[in-house]
Amino acid sequence: MARSLMLALGAVFAFPGLAAAQGPAATGGWVGPFAVIAAGIGMALAAGLCGLGQGRAVAAAVDAMARQPAAAARIQTAMIIGLALIESLAIYVLVVAMILLFVQPIKA
Amino acid sequence: MEAIEHPPIFRLPGIPDHVTYTWVVMLILAGLAFVASRRMDLVPRGAQNFLEVVLEQFQALIDDVIGPEGRPYLPLIATLGLFILTGNLLSLIPGVAGPTANLNTTAACALIVFVSYHAIGIRKQGAMNYFKHFMGPVPLLAPLMVPIELISHLARPLSLSLRLFGNMTGGHILLAIIFFLMGLDGLIGWALSGSKAGAFVGGLGGLIMVVFTVGFLYPLKILVSVLQAFIFVMLTMLYIAGATEGAEHHHAEHH
Repeated sequence: MARSLMLALGAVFAFPGLAAAQGPAATGGWVGPFAVIAAGIGMALAAGLCGLGQGRAVAAAVDAMARQPAAAARIQTAMIIGLALIESLAIYVLVVAMILLFVQPIKA
Repeated sequence: MEAIEHPPIFRLPGIPDHVTYTWVVMLILAGLAFVASRRMDLVPRGAQNFLEVVLEQFQALIDDVIGPEGRPYLPLIATLGLFILTGNLLSLIPGVAGPTANLNTTAACALIVFVSYHAIGIRKQGAMNYFKHFMGPVPLLAPLMVPIELISHLARPLSLSLRLFGNMTGGHILLAIIFFLMGLDGLIGWALSGSKAGAFVGGLGGLIMVVFTVGFLYPLKILVSVLQAFIFVMLTMLYIAGATEGAEHHHAEHH
């Protein structure tokens, strides 16, 4: 398991270097392939951790709504605002990923 | 974004797409308002009834969050909400570019919110009183509080604009990538190639994919569109409430 993981990581991190070494890339040099990897890993981390955070928030809100159904509407509003604020962190990563993928500000 | 998204079908030469479709949203909303207010009745019917219900919802939301003193800001809040909602829903139509899927439009909306809630706060409390809130409760902590407050206030338009833009553009890219991964263009090309088997398999497969994706992702995108418009409006109201609320606390401390 660990060995195959190492191999996969090696393949992931070695391949862009190899691809850059073999022949000149037309568009972005060696930054482009690493940008793709960075966008993927960054988005995966952000989405996973954002999901954990939102899960905690929703769990607490549903708990509160079940205990106090009279206040359900206000709790729901607060929950949606909180979810939006948590989600915006993942959205920042999405924007950074899109900048890395489409704008490609760093050329090397 | 040009790499993935197809350009819209109708474009004006020399004018960016999001500006064109902002004008379309403006035409829709202005036309709706014109039709609704052309013959106003005491007992509303048709378009007037619809718009009155929508605006009453906004007013109820304002009463809930800011309180009755927030009613003068109904035009600002409802205009922002309707504009963003229409722009979000417009981008669901294939071949139409949504204005809110462009950072320029959302940054403009966020800057309007930023300037107006500061202006409302200054007008309600006076400039000195308003900026005194930036220094925190204890004068000794002011050097620490002022940078924190400045950063938190400057982050508000950033997060407002990026949230709306990222949600809309992320949805479009998701849709484009799912169509691309399922090989929809290949299937449609096969269906149009002229052979009987291609027309049958490709056409049927493409139809199933379109129905599957549209049935799954379009409800999600409609939900996200409404939710993002709601969140934008909600945060605007919270910022306005924060700018006006300080006055009452201040008075309460003094009296």
